[in-house]
Amino acid sequence: MVPPVQVSPLIKTARWSALLFGLIYGKQRYDYLKPIAAEERRIEEEEKKLREERERIYKQLSEANSDTILK
Amino acid sequence: MAQAVQKLVAKVPTLVGAAVSYSKPRLSTFWYYARVELVPPSPAEIPKAISGFQDLIKGFQSGRLGQTSVRDALRNGLVATEVLMWFYIGEIIGKRGIVGYDV
Repeated sequence: MVPPVQVSPLIKTARWSALLFGLIYGKQRYDYLKPIAAEERRIEEEEKKLREERERIYKQLSEANSDTILK
Repeated sequence: MAQAVQKLVAKVPTLVGAAVSYSKPRLSTFWYYARVELVPPSPAEIPKAISGFQDLIKGFQSGRLGQTSVRDALRNGLVATEVLMWFYIGEIIGKRGIVGYDV
């Protein structure tokens, strides 16, 4: 088997510090995005309720107004 | 149906044994190389890394880096790309998801 290569210390430190930075960056971005997503979900829920209420009312009105003998 | 499940369950130990005996030599070669090549730098190596980085900057300032052959430049570019990819692996670990943030 080929003997393992002696990697230069610059490359080793660069690799592992890049891993560390990536870890920190991922964690911080996740913590930043999580409350924003929760807020958006909450707003979406409220708007959905409002929309469904309006649709219900509209449907009822349109059914009440559509009196034809063709039913 | 129940018989098929029973047969499968009876086969699991042999499957596990086969998987272990397949992966053992490969794992040992991986370990053989990783113990030398992939270890984090020991505290004694960090000053060497800093001096190596300063050498790089000096080489850039003096224009020596313009003299590298295309072959060496491509090789160094590949090594640099590999180092950058470790950043993305760290990000995957930090955000606990492979594709996208699971918020």
